[in-house]
Amino acid sequence: MENLTFENHIASVFDEELEEIRSDLMNMGGQVEQQLEDAVRAICDADSQLAEQVIQRDGKVDKMELAIDEACVLVIARRQPAASDLRLVVAVTRAVADLERIGDEAKKIAKHALELTESGPSPMGYTEVRHLAQSVSQILRNSLDAFARFDADAALVTLEQDKQIDMDYKTALRELVTYMMEDPRSIGRVMSIMWVVRSLERIGDHAKNLCEQVVFIVKGKDIRHSDGH
Amino acid sequence: MTEPTSQAARPTPTDHSATIKASLKRRYRAETRFRWYGRIAIAFGLAAVLVLFVDIISKGHGAFKTTHIAVPVEYDLAQLGVRDLNDNQQLALADWDALFKSGLRELLPDVSGRSARRELYRMVSNGAGYDLKDRLQANPRLANQREQVWLSADDDIDTYFKGLLDGDPYTARVTEQQIEWIDELRSAGQIRTQWNRNFWTRGDSREPEQAGIWGAVMGSLFTLAITFALSFPIGVSAAIYLEEFAPRNRFTDFIEININNLAAVPSIIFGLLGLAIFINFFGVPRSIPILGGLVLTLMTLPTIIITSRAAIKAVPPSIREAALGMGASKHQVVLHHVLPLAMPGMLTGAIIGMAQALGETAPLLMIGMVAFIVDIPQAFTDPATVLPVQIFLWADSPERAFVEKTSAAIMVLLGFLIIMNTTAVWIRKRLERRW
Amino acid sequence: MAINNDRPIPTQSVGAQFHDNARMSMRDVNIFYGDKQAIFDVSLDIGQNEVMAMIGPSGCGKSTFLRSLNRMNDTIEGCRVVGDIAMDGQDLYDSKLDVVELRARVGMVFQKPNPFPKSIYDNVAYGPKIHGLAESRVDLDEIVESSLRKASLWNEVKDRLHQPGTGLSGGQQQRLCIARAIAVNPEVILMDEPCSALDPIATAKIEELIEELSENFTIAIVTHSMQQAARVSHRTAYFHLGRLIEVNPTEQVFTMPEHELTEGYITGRFG
Repeated sequence: MENLTFENHIASVFDEELEEIRSDLMNMGGQVEQQLEDAVRAICDADSQLAEQVIQRDGKVDKMELAIDEACVLVIARRQPAASDLRLVVAVTRAVADLERIGDEAKKIAKHALELTESGPSPMGYTEVRHLAQSVSQILRNSLDAFARFDADAALVTLEQDKQIDMDYKTALRELVTYMMEDPRSIGRVMSIMWVVRSLERIGDHAKNLCEQVVFIVKGKDIRHSDGH
Repeated sequence: MTEPTSQAARPTPTDHSATIKASLKRRYRAETRFRWYGRIAIAFGLAAVLVLFVDIISKGHGAFKTTHIAVPVEYDLAQLGVRDLNDNQQLALADWDALFKSGLRELLPDVSGRSARRELYRMVSNGAGYDLKDRLQANPRLANQREQVWLSADDDIDTYFKGLLDGDPYTARVTEQQIEWIDELRSAGQIRTQWNRNFWTRGDSREPEQAGIWGAVMGSLFTLAITFALSFPIGVSAAIYLEEFAPRNRFTDFIEININNLAAVPSIIFGLLGLAIFINFFGVPRSIPILGGLVLTLMTLPTIIITSRAAIKAVPPSIREAALGMGASKHQVVLHHVLPLAMPGMLTGAIIGMAQALGETAPLLMIGMVAFIVDIPQAFTDPATVLPVQIFLWADSPERAFVEKTSAAIMVLLGFLIIMNTTAVWIRKRLERRW
Repeated sequence: MAINNDRPIPTQSVGAQFHDNARMSMRDVNIFYGDKQAIFDVSLDIGQNEVMAMIGPSGCGKSTFLRSLNRMNDTIEGCRVVGDIAMDGQDLYDSKLDVVELRARVGMVFQKPNPFPKSIYDNVAYGPKIHGLAESRVDLDEIVESSLRKASLWNEVKDRLHQPGTGLSGGQQQRLCIARAIAVNPEVILMDEPCSALDPIATAKIEELIEELSENFTIAIVTHSMQQAARVSHRTAYFHLGRLIEVNPTEQVFTMPEHELTEGYITGRFG
């Protein structure tokens, strides 16, 4: 099962349908990545306009989810996919849900960005956010890459990276708590930052789910909820 | 290569309907023409059959009627020299002709002179005396009584009189005087045509008015009975063995080829074979239905084997598989499933083979069934002739009256063939089972 | 996964060929038609009360293999079976074994419904009659009824038992054939594409029936419909060019086949 491809079906339309699902998923992934990046930038640069844009564009992500899900249902109904095809379609429907959730988290971050911008500029907590956002973006990009190439090994490596995020998240939380203790007036503001950090951590979890789906497609093993991950 | 593909990618819709319409006309014309060829062919065939039937029926219908003359007869036992009607010797010695001779003289009292009288007597069939004897024997109460008897006329008179009724009398075989007498009898209502019983009840005879078809019919029935009794079981058994049990190898291929060849062998060869084997080697008496049956069996066997094999082959293999899959043994498969399903086809084949045998003449000529046989065969061992041979014999006879007899016999033969073929169709329709 | 037919086909099958509780076991079976070899070194167990599906492209030898299990191949001239085929430890190709007895123990249902052109009753009663399984008319009636019941046909035909079996619908005819096969109470039932001539509803009924029958019988089914194999079978064997490529639990074959040829076939990627 090393070189998994979804071509060469006797029905070439089937090839096209699967390819379309896959590329739509990649597009959605790209869109979600962009959303995340913009949301984080909106916080760091205190750019309320950008934050507004992110919130607006979330609707587009939701529409993409619906479209890809429908395409998957149609493929199941019409082609009765089996084996690798079946795994691909099932994994895509799961991955789409994760991407949509990532989109939602990005929207939440953007909302907090709006609040933070309104309460005036302050560099407090941005280092943590930027640091964590970088790792999360990286892990999201890696998992999307693994999905694009159906690279189970890369996916497994990325899964390991998620542990680093968890650690970063805990460190960030501790630091933010320290800020609050140092300056109780900043509690409201730091709480917002905490929510952002929390969202970033959740995005990391969803990216991890994507990697698990890559492993499912390639190896046929469902490693969700299994030990070690 | 890029040019045509890019064109194919953007197909320019061209309107072909004019071209198609033009070719349509041509195609329909060709179709109509073709249909007419078929109709003409069928019309030709029908016309040929029609001509045949019209010819045969117009020639032969007369044979079913025969001319009779009403003659007063007095069964004067004393004059006949018979005292006891049960004494065959006395009956055989009696001059029965005298009975109708005196009757005729009574009918036409003006006739005088020996030659005129002889002509007069010749107007009645020369079997008339025997007819009167049979009549008296059957009704002893007629002894010493007078009655008017319709005696069958001589064949020349018969031919003339029937021609006269049709407006086209054939005068070559009758004398002027006889014509006059016939006119006289006709005006007196003493001459008429009536249903020809002799034709249906008697055997062959040199005298056309006495000749009948019944002997040949019985001969044919006996012969066919033998043929069927032998060829059907033998043919079906051979077919079943070859189709179901025999291994496929060179030997069975050889047998198969030979069976197919035998079906195409001219039938007279089978006659020669019968002559050589059955008569010369086994010493079977000639002219009897058993011999005819044996020879016709040889001739029809290939047909029956081939049609039976076709019928067996037509049994769907799925039925055999089903039975084998149930654990039926080979012979159970054949007995329970193949044979019942193939039976209609086999019977049809057999009947068609029988019809073929019924119409066969050539091989029977070789084994003496062409003999002139007056007696109606009563058993398989009585000398007999068969319908087609009878036709052959009559067609060969010089008397003009045999012309209509020949045609009538052909009608009888055709009747039998039609009945047999209809039976074959009926059996197939009746027994045919769908699966 | 482009399947390249030039690629050498492995002589070794992958997956779980063997069964702990085998009813029939085949070892190194080779089947020849004259000089042509149709089956190469197939080893396979069919377990007790198991439904074993055999799938593969046309001409892959799955039907040939199935037919060797009750020696229906015997009727084909030039067909030769080499290797061990045993049922409950008894060699099926032993010269002492009577093929008639074998076929009473290994029943068969064919591709096209092939009821005998006899009444429904006679169709079912045929097997018990020729094998002498019924001592009396009452016995026979009982066998016929229970077989028809097991084939889920009784309610549909109980009022017309003496009408011809060929008058039934295609699906009913096939169930009649199944009833006929189980009337002799075989141990194994072989089914050679039993639904290929039927509409989806009739097919669903037969599949339901196969499910029920597997409680009492061991079933080997050849099918061209992968979905059918997926629906009815416990294990699936994939044949390719006369070789057994893969045998695995059905759920595995249809989600994660072990061999790429199997994968290619069930995902519809055959070149």
